[in-house]
Formats: sequence, structure tokens, C-alpha cells
Amino acid sequence: MSKKAKKRVFSILWKILALLIGFFVVTFTVYIFNLDMKLTAAIEPWLLKHYDRIPRDTHL
Amino acid sequence: MKDLKHLIFFEDLLQEANNVLVQQAQQEGKVCVAYVCENTPEPLLNLPGAFSARLRAPRTGSMEVATYYLTSFLCEYTRALLERAMEGGFNFADCIIAPDGCSMMNRCVENMELLQALGRDKPRFFHQYMEIPMKADDNGLNLYTLQCTNHILKPLQEHYGIDISDEAIRRAVAEHNRVCELIRAIGEFRKSDPAVITGYEFHVITLATYVAPKYLLIDKLEETLEELKTREPDKKSPFRARVLVVGSEVDDTDFIKLIEDSGAYVCGDRYCCGSLPGRDPIVLTEDEDALTQICRQYMLRGQCPRYMNTDKMQGRREYVNKLAREYNADGIIYEQMKFCDPWAYEKMLGAHVLREDFGYPVLAVDRPYAIASSGQMRTRVQAFVESMEIKKIQKGEQHG
Amino acid sequence: MAKEIGADRLGDLYIDGGKVRKRREWRGLVDTMYDYSRWLKIMTILGKFVMKPRNVKAMFRYRWMANYLAVPMMVDRHTQGLRGEYLRMCHVEQDLIIDDVAKLLDNLFRGDRRIGNDTEFSKKVVLVDENEMTAVMMGFPMLKSLSRETPSTYVSVLLNQHAAEHYIDVAQEFGLAGDVCPMPEAEAGVSIDDDAPVLGACAIQCNTTCDGSLLGNGVISKRLELEDGIPVFQLAAPLRHREDDVQEYAAQEIRNAIAFIEKHTGAKWDWTAYFDCARRVNIATRCRQEWLDMNRTDYPQVFGSNLALYTETNYMAICGRIPAFEKADRELTRLAEKAYNARKRAAKEYRHRAIIWGVQSHFYMDFLVWLLNCWGIVPLTDMLSMVSTRVLAEEDTPENRETAIYDMAWLTENMIMRNRTHGGYKVLLDELWEFCEMFNADMVVLWEHMSCKALTGMHGMFEERAREKGIHLVWVTHDLFDPRIISRQGVRDQINNYMRTVMREEPLDPSLEILHDEESW
Repeated sequence: MSKKAKKRVFSILWKILALLIGFFVVTFTVYIFNLDMKLTAAIEPWLLKHYDRIPRDTHL
Repeated sequence: MKDLKHLIFFEDLLQEANNVLVQQAQQEGKVCVAYVCENTPEPLLNLPGAFSARLRAPRTGSMEVATYYLTSFLCEYTRALLERAMEGGFNFADCIIAPDGCSMMNRCVENMELLQALGRDKPRFFHQYMEIPMKADDNGLNLYTLQCTNHILKPLQEHYGIDISDEAIRRAVAEHNRVCELIRAIGEFRKSDPAVITGYEFHVITLATYVAPKYLLIDKLEETLEELKTREPDKKSPFRARVLVVGSEVDDTDFIKLIEDSGAYVCGDRYCCGSLPGRDPIVLTEDEDALTQICRQYMLRGQCPRYMNTDKMQGRREYVNKLAREYNADGIIYEQMKFCDPWAYEKMLGAHVLREDFGYPVLAVDRPYAIASSGQMRTRVQAFVESMEIKKIQKGEQHG
Repeated sequence: MAKEIGADRLGDLYIDGGKVRKRREWRGLVDTMYDYSRWLKIMTILGKFVMKPRNVKAMFRYRWMANYLAVPMMVDRHTQGLRGEYLRMCHVEQDLIIDDVAKLLDNLFRGDRRIGNDTEFSKKVVLVDENEMTAVMMGFPMLKSLSRETPSTYVSVLLNQHAAEHYIDVAQEFGLAGDVCPMPEAEAGVSIDDDAPVLGACAIQCNTTCDGSLLGNGVISKRLELEDGIPVFQLAAPLRHREDDVQEYAAQEIRNAIAFIEKHTGAKWDWTAYFDCARRVNIATRCRQEWLDMNRTDYPQVFGSNLALYTETNYMAICGRIPAFEKADRELTRLAEKAYNARKRAAKEYRHRAIIWGVQSHFYMDFLVWLLNCWGIVPLTDMLSMVSTRVLAEEDTPENRETAIYDMAWLTENMIMRNRTHGGYKVLLDELWEFCEMFNADMVVLWEHMSCKALTGMHGMFEERAREKGIHLVWVTHDLFDPRIISRQGVRDQINNYMRTVMREEPLDPSLEILHDEESW
């Protein structure tokens, strides 16, 4: 493998690694600070209002 | 109206579970079979040498001890029975047979057994629990007959030597039918307007046939029937509407009285301890054993909400509609005893279907076991009567 | 933030009056990374689920779908304080259940007339009750047995304690008394509120656990059969299930149910598939027995809400039909044995060995984790996990085919909860004390589901027997699906009061004693 090709492979690997690290940092931050649940908790009241507006055939 | 000759006699029978006729039958050497649910075929408890007594707890006061055992979330009927049992009020019984009709009744009788509240000084006393079908089909019938054999007939024979032959069963059915025919004939007088018997009087008489030996009641019932044929109704009826009462166990005559005192004539009694269908005669043929025929008729006519197949569920509401038409009801009162799960659902569905699909005015109420003079219930019934009157006026009709 | 079990103040993770927690637990590097990886897996399952437009459509159609926003938090609640094998066991169970429920939802919406409307798929669907033993589906691998009530009410309340309140209110607005069991009440409410998916070739209802359940089905079948045109078979399982003279009836009900399914789906019963399932049921039974045997020692391993929840799912809803659960059974056993051999414990101190009896508060299933972390009370086993251990016939022979009918009938009669709440006082009252002796328990935590009449009907006798036997009996009253009646803190207070006033003990983790989680999912 030529030096240029090696450099290119390393560059790709670095990019993948950087992506993985980025992915880890972002998702782990979301995970440890419970951001996923904090977001969905904010969405829920809006959803409940939406359900109240849906016309339903409510009967026994 | 002139008082019925035997009304006080019938009323007296309801004052104590161990009434004078129960005592008389036991003195005659008969075995008292106590039971607690309409799904127990009565003729099988009234074989020659035995008689049935449907347990109730008249004049119930405090239920504190039973509430400790069962908690306040079980229906008051079961608590009242357990309290009375612990007080020794059912010690006259020689055995008790309880189907798993509902969880509460099952627990009530199990507590009686665990607390040894019944059968004191009765070495031959037994408790029996029965599985009863939840659907009206062939499989259910097979179960019913097997359970009646294993948990009613065999124990009665083994413990007390009762004759459980087909012939004995047929004799018991004949006696049962005689009482049913009399009650139904008396009940027919409720169809006329004005009627010559009040709903309260009829309830007292019918209830007596559940709690006292039937053979000792026949003469009084016959006399009452004759008396009604010539009884003159009041010139001015105190009632402003006719209602059919539908629902769970009613052994409290005050409840029917309260409804009638509020202006609604109780023309039909589609509840447990009532006559519809509880006092339908059992028709026997010769080509099949009597036990199977009894079980089939109990299963097919049963209006207990524990029957869960769709046909049965639909049938319950159609039956109420049929009765309302037959007895000229202006409205329907659906009642349930508080904390009764089966009737909580049935009341909701029945009230809705009878109102929406069949067009009846319907009042749905829950009530305690012993209602006494509940102002709340009185107000609700009065308001219901007024609403029916308004509807009549709007239709341009006049009630006499 | 510690690696060691019990070193953290778990109550500090709560936000007073908040819906969710401040942050997730740090369990040391290895366990935190493991938990994180499982969280990623759950997010992947959820991500795949929402990739399908029909599932998004369903999200905006069905009110109960909002509860599924809380899936990761449900796992967090059950893994609270866990480390090592215990954390892994919990994830094996919870993650599999989540995956299974996601598939259930996906299938429901695929066939739902309002959403996916895949009519060919719908023709292969048999609807079953939430609390129903699915034994009768063991020989129909070509069909899908789907429960509408499982995701709409049962799982929803596990996810969000307030999930059923709306449906309970709907049912009561239509005149249903407020004193009935809120579970069938909520299920009826879903039907009344027009909030159940509509699909299926037919439905099998069952008189599952109680009178309320039986009657609640009537509300559902009225709409399902009479309006939606889906034929319903009511499978009546005898209540006195220990009696010999009801078994033929039960068996005939199974035969009739199979014939009904065949008639309405055109499918034919497959004995090979049935016996495969039966073999897996036997494996699950053997594993469960092994776990319970371990729980009789000083080193219990598979216990608490995980045992209850997993058993309920595996025993009843799966019934040998999904091979992944066999794999999970084996994995759980492997982890349990590993921890047992290393003499490991799930909390820093085990003070009391308790049998958990009665019907658990569904809105607070993770209460048993709290019991362990806060007071060191080990929930050795619970009523819902003490189910049938009968070995099913698993070889396909003519005799075994007949035996199999009775096996299915037996399983159906012995559904979770009803196998204890019905069948006479022996199975509910007498056997409790036998289990206390068997597990060497010094305490009974008795869930008193206040509107479960079959259970509360033995209240006084439980107390009398506990006094006779000298066993600490702690009542924990609740209303199953409705935290407005007794809140989670109300549940905890009953333990707190007993432990402080009767036992005169201090909590292991005082931060957990009082939590303001009434608004929490």
C-alpha cells in the first residue's frame, strides 16, 4: 500500500473514530443526564391535548 | 285496600332466619339445607326429608366483626350473613351449599367454615362448594349435573340418608312447581291497573317461599290467591307510575316499600329472590332424567350476570324488555347492591341498552343491603317518577 | 456515584414533583457501560418502531400510546441500585419484554382497520384477553394471537402510573360503580372511549381472574362482536381448579375454543407446533423452579418485580410460543447460578426474608426494588410467580394428544392470579404459610388490592393465621391501577410505618423513605 493510500485509510479511520467518539459523547450525555426522558416528558402534555381534540365514537 | 289476611304471617316469617316454619319442619325431623345463591337448584334441596332455607340476615345492624374479616369492600349481603353466622343466627342449618356464583359469596361461606360459625353441635353438618357453569351450553349442562350430583345429592344422601332417586327428585319438583304456580298466579294480579296487590305485599309473599319450607306455605298461598280474586283496589291509586325492578339480590322488603312510598308501583321483580324467573315452574318430561332437566332449565332461564356468553348477555336485556311489556311498566329501576361486581357491570350495560335501544326511562341505583328509610334513595325514586310523569304528559297521556 | 451495591443515596436521583429523574445512575464503569449499551439497544428498538409510518399514525390516534414515551424510564425504575449479574438479569428480562411488546404493537397497527388495515394479515389474527393464558394458541403457529388490552392498559400502567386514570373515568362516566377492580374497568373504558385497535378474524375472551374481569369482557364483546363483527368465543375456565370434577368441563372448553378458532380462521391445529411449545413451557418451568430453589437459600438470585413481571409474560402471554424466551430462561439461569456460586447479594444488607402475597400494585411494580434498597427486605417470591409446575406432555403420541387437552385446560385454569384468588381458601390462605416455611421467610408483605373481592375476603383470616404462626404480616393497601386512591408514597408509608413502629428499624437508604413522585411516570 502506498503512503498516500495509507494516509487515506488512516484519515478514514480517524473520521470513523471521531464519529464514534462523537456518537458516544452525545448519546452518553443524553443517557447519563436522562435527556431522552426529559424531552419526552416535555412532549407528553402536547400529545394529551391532541388526544382530547380527536373526535371519537364514545359509547358503550 | 283491605289488608291481606296472611300478610302479617308472611311478614313474621321474614323477621328471623330461623322462623317458625323452619323450626316446625325441623321438629318434624326434616333436614334444613341452607343456601345463598339462586344458581343452586332449589328442588334438589327440597327432596323428601329435606327443605331449603335461603340465608338472609333480617334486621341487620352492626357488621363490624364481619367487616374485619371481609373488609368494607365486600357487599353488605355477604358481610351481614357472616356477622349473623358468627352471632349464631344460622345454627339451625344442617348443612350449607354454596356455588362459586361470585367471589364475595364464596369468601363469605369460606369464612363461615374457617370460623366454624355454623354447625355447632351438629356432627353431620357439612359445607359444600359448587362450580356452576358460566355459559349456557351442553358443556355447561354436563358440569351442572355433575356438580349437583357431587355437591348436593351425594352429600345429602351420605350425611343424612336423603333419597336422591329420580322419583324423589320428581316429587320435589312437583311440590316446587305448586309453589311456583301459586306465586305466578298471585303475581299475575300485578298486571292490572290499578292492581289488587302491591309490589311490597308480593315481595313479602315471594320472599317467604325462599326462606321457609315450601310445603308448609302452600295452604296460606292458596288462601291468599283466593282472597285476591275478590279484593277491591283502592278507588284512588297512590301510585303515579309503574316500574320493573331489575338487579341483584333483594331480600329487604323495605326497599320495595320505599319505592312504592315514593309513588312508583313495583309491577315486576326481576331480581335474585324475586319471582321472575325464580318462580318459573320446572317442566319435566319422562324421556330424560329429572336432574338433567332441572339443571338445563336453571341454566337456560338464569339471569345471573355471571353467564358470560353473548347470547346470554343479550338475552338478559331482552328478557327485561319482555317483562316490562308484559307487566306494563312505565320505567325500569336497575339496582345493584354496593360493591357487587357482576351487577355493577350489568347495571351499567342493562340501563344503557334498555334506555338507548328499547326506549325505556331507566333509573340506575346502588343500594346498601338494608336500606331502612334512605332519604337519598327516596329522592332519586321520586325524581324518577316525576320524570316519567312529565314524559307521559308530553305524550299527551294521563295516568289513572 | 459508586460501583459498590448500596453505596449511593438513590433518592437523590428524584426531582421533587417531577415526571422524570435528574440523571441516570452511575454504577461504576463496567456496569454503567453495560447499562448504557442496553439503553442504546432499547432506543434502537424504539427507533425501528417509529420508522414505520403506521406506528406514527397510531401514536397520534391512541391516547395510551403516549405512555410508550416512558419506556426507558420503566427499565431505569426496575434496575435501580442493581449491579453485576442482577443488572444483567433485569435487562435480559426487561429488554426481551420491550421487544415483544414492540412487535405486538406493530402487529396490532398492521391489522388495525383504522391504521394499517392489512386485511389479509387481520384474517390471521386471533384476539386474546390481556390476562389470558394463551395455551389455546400453542398449536396455531400460522396465526397471530394478539392482545389489545396488554398494550393499552396493562403495559401502559407499568410505564406510567397515571395511564389508566382517563379510561377509569370514562367507564365511571357511563355509570360503572367506582368500587370495581380498576383493571377491567380501564379495559372497558378503552372500549367505550373508542380507543382500541379493530382487527382480527375472531376473539377468545376468558373469565380470567375475577367477576369484574368476566363482566368487563361483556362491555368489550358488545362492541367487538355486535358492532365490529368480530366473532367472540368466551372460554369459561372453572374457578374451583383444584377439583377433579371440573377438569372434563375445562378440557371441553379447550376443544370448543380450538374448533372455534379453526372455524373462523380456516387454520388447522398443528400438534407438532403444540408439543414444541409444551417442551419450551417445561423448560421455563424447570428454570423457574431452579430460581425458586435458590431463593430458599441465603443467596436468592431471581426475585422481586423482575421475577413477577417475567413470569407473568413468559408463563401466560408467551406460553412456549416464542423461542427467544427459552434462550432468556437459560441465560437467566446461567447468570443466577454464577451469582449464586459467588455468594453474591443484590443489596448491601438482607434484613428480612419476605414472601410477597396478594395482587401487586400495578402502578408501582418497582416497589419490590424499593423494598430491597430502602429496608433490606428481600422479596423471595410473590403470589404471581407461584404458578403451575405441572410438567406437560411433550412427545407427540395419540395418548399425549388427549393429555395435552387437559394440560392446556389446566394451564388456562391456573392463570396467574386466579390460580390463587380462586379455587378455595387453601390456595390463597393455607399455601401461603407453607411457602413461608419453605422459603424460611420471617415476613409477609401482603398487597391488599382493595377492590379485589376474592383477596380482601380473606383479610381477617390472614391476620389470624399470621398471629398464630408468629410471622410479621405487613398490609400494603392499594387500588391496582389507580394511584389517585393510594399514591406510591401512600404505599411506601405503610411499610415505613411498620418498619419504624413495629420493627423499630432504620432504613438502609434513608433518601428513599419519602419520595415526591406522585407526578412521576
